[in-house]
Amino acid sequence: MAASISGYTFSSVCYHSANSNADHEGFLLGDVRQEETVSISDTQISSAELLQVVEIHHHDPCAQLFSFYDYAGKVNEESLNSILKDRRKNVIGWYRFRRNTQQQMSFREQIIHKQLTQLLGVPDLVFLLFSFISTANSSTHALEYVLFRPNRSRYNQRITLSIPNLGNTSQQEYKVSSVPNTSLNYAKVIKEHGAEFFDKDGVMKDIRTIFQVYSALQDKLQAVCGEVEQSERVKEKIQEDVNKLKQQIALRKRKTAEEERRLREAQNADSHSTPEENTEPCEASPLSGITFPTPSAPERPSTSPNPPSYTDLMSQDDSLLPSSSPPTSAALLPRPQAVGSPGHPTPGPTVMGLGLGHGLGLGLSASSNPVTTPSTPYLGNGDGSSSDSLDRQAAGQEDDEEEEDDDDDEDSSEYENLVSEGAHLPMVSASVLAQGRPAALSPDGDARGSQAT
Amino acid sequence: MNNMSPEVALHRISPELRPLLCSVVRNGRVGLDSTNCLRVTDLKTGCTSLTPGPCCDRFKLHIPYAGETLKWDIIFNACYPELPPDFIFGEDAEFLPEPSELPHLVHWDAGNPECLLQLVKELIQQYHHYQCLRLRESSRLLFEYDSLLEDPNYGRNMEIYAGHKNSWTGEFSARFLLKLPVDFSNIPIYLLKDVILLLAGQICQDTALDPGEDVALLSVSFEDAEATQVFPKLYLSPSIEHALGGSSALHIPAFPSGGCLIDYVPQVCQLLTNKVQYVIQGYHKRREYIAAFLSHFGTGVVEYDAEGFTKLTLLLMWKDFCFLVHVDLPLYFPRDQPTLTFQSVYHFTNSGQLYSQVQKSYPYSPRWDGNEMAKRAKAYFKSFIPQFQEGAFANGKL
Repeated sequence: MAASISGYTFSSVCYHSANSNADHEGFLLGDVRQEETVSISDTQISSAELLQVVEIHHHDPCAQLFSFYDYAGKVNEESLNSILKDRRKNVIGWYRFRRNTQQQMSFREQIIHKQLTQLLGVPDLVFLLFSFISTANSSTHALEYVLFRPNRSRYNQRITLSIPNLGNTSQQEYKVSSVPNTSLNYAKVIKEHGAEFFDKDGVMKDIRTIFQVYSALQDKLQAVCGEVEQSERVKEKIQEDVNKLKQQIALRKRKTAEEERRLREAQNADSHSTPEENTEPCEASPLSGITFPTPSAPERPSTSPNPPSYTDLMSQDDSLLPSSSPPTSAALLPRPQAVGSPGHPTPGPTVMGLGLGHGLGLGLSASSNPVTTPSTPYLGNGDGSSSDSLDRQAAGQEDDEEEEDDDDDEDSSEYENLVSEGAHLPMVSASVLAQGRPAALSPDGDARGSQAT
Repeated sequence: MNNMSPEVALHRISPELRPLLCSVVRNGRVGLDSTNCLRVTDLKTGCTSLTPGPCCDRFKLHIPYAGETLKWDIIFNACYPELPPDFIFGEDAEFLPEPSELPHLVHWDAGNPECLLQLVKELIQQYHHYQCLRLRESSRLLFEYDSLLEDPNYGRNMEIYAGHKNSWTGEFSARFLLKLPVDFSNIPIYLLKDVILLLAGQICQDTALDPGEDVALLSVSFEDAEATQVFPKLYLSPSIEHALGGSSALHIPAFPSGGCLIDYVPQVCQLLTNKVQYVIQGYHKRREYIAAFLSHFGTGVVEYDAEGFTKLTLLLMWKDFCFLVHVDLPLYFPRDQPTLTFQSVYHFTNSGQLYSQVQKSYPYSPRWDGNEMAKRAKAYFKSFIPQFQEGAFANGKL
């Protein structure tokens, strides 16, 4: 058997009891229900457990002692009825409060209990005993409560009384008890304001709204899925094209290499040769064919420290290291349109910082274009006012560094420019290198001049 | 809260309840064992802790019963002093007296100071009935009880405590406390008087002034239902015990195995009665003895115990030799022989005492009467004195 009492009923009983200046007693109203638990385990098919649960919903305090019984402990049924009135059928027990006594039923309590059991017709009438114990110096007071069912055998009389939510509810779940809320006021308020929260079916409105949001999200998700699928297919197609092109390029390379070999062999055989003519185109082609990876370059050559990491890797010449950003060699690079670039065409033959990772830069030293010192090799003219140059530089650089595989699609205006200037190969001469160093210092931007200094 | 003196208890209890407790504590004697009176402990209050004192209205009452002490809680309400109390019967959770058998509860009158005491007496009676009912668990013990009940001498002065069944061994024990119908009224007062003075010291501490009537209680403990382990014990009130010669008076024969109370108890009773008779007789005999000596020795008597007649001192002269004779009469005179102590008036021993010699064996017979004893004593003195004189001169110094 188990018993439970709601927190407010318990506190109400305590309140009445603690405020009385003598012993106090009253009746407990509530419900008794049977709970059957069927448990199925591996070892047995099912076992049913019957549990009787006593729930205390209300209490009915007696105004004074001996109100329904006399000195001999005989219960007067009329007085009992006048106290209980129509609540008599809800009585499931009674309680008594006495201070500083033992937790044991007293002589008179036992006599009264027997009579009440008979009169009220409740076979398992319970008795709740409160005792209030104070220490001698009144420093500690303890309220103890024990629930008895005296009609059972002597050894099985105490029942545990549980008070739901008496404890730390931040750690445990707040339990909703099955004690019905019989307050009229509560019912009225809920009825009045219920329409704001519940729709006509009794389902909370919020739930519907949330469900709608959920559905919308699901739809969008489906649509996006479709889009993703399509773009993936496009990508796949493009990838195939790229692969094809690569194959073609490789094929062409092989062919030209073979031709060259044949030519050479033929030339050797003839001992007439004009290799120079070949070289340029030869040189040009591989160069043009070769795609350069674009390192990340700084926008402001002077200020950014980056570009050069790539440069560092590729350049064999430390001096090329970039305190300054090297001019772009537009000629070499297939120039895609830089993102956000102002689109300045690169100026004439700009000496490029070969260090920018165009490893070919060094290889290009063969080029004999010494003069192609750009009007703006470096940031500056030295006086710091080089917005134009900077811009150009930036553009150049960007142009320089960016490279995409999709040559076909691009606006290749710059590309054409570059190609036309392809003859001017970037100088990798020492002058360039020298320029790299102190060029920034030259007042007139003349690399040569700086070198001289 | 233990061993609270009754005065303290009375001081702390709520004023309206004081008269009721007073009669319990001061005059309260319930049961056979009236040497132990009722004790009150654990005074507590049922009022809120802010109530100004004294406001105690509930306490534990210790009641001696059949060799046990019952501890019952009595619960009043100080705010409603006219209401009757409630009881918690300690460990006897199954004791539930019928209220109709408790007239002082049904017609509780808070104005009557004796009401509570009477109610407690009624409860004890009911408790006794309850215990007797419990004896039914053992047929042997029930037989003992019934047989005693029939005897008018013992039946009405019995307290039974049927102990709880020992859950380990399944043994059932019981104790019978019987008041023995022995008449102590003829015991000479002088025997009892010493004890009263002795008790006076104790009385001031914890007991009431009146040590109570003289009782002899026989407690017989049955440790098992088959009466194979039986332990009898005799309790006498202190004055009687002293009068009968101290703790030796408490020796009683062992319970015969297979015997029963209805045979044993009268036996003990008889023994006790005999002892008392002896004592009474002894007193008279001693008186006679002393009277005889007085008449025989006349002016030779220096002093004698005029109350208990236990001592006599004579100053005699023989051939110009003076000597003292101290006669000590034992309790069980004439069965036991008086002790004669001869003392020289001239000689000292090394330790500074007067030289003396004690004679315990000399011609004597308990069947002689006082006169005869006096005569024989005189003759003995004459025969013994020369010896004594020599001894005194030889061993003593002047």
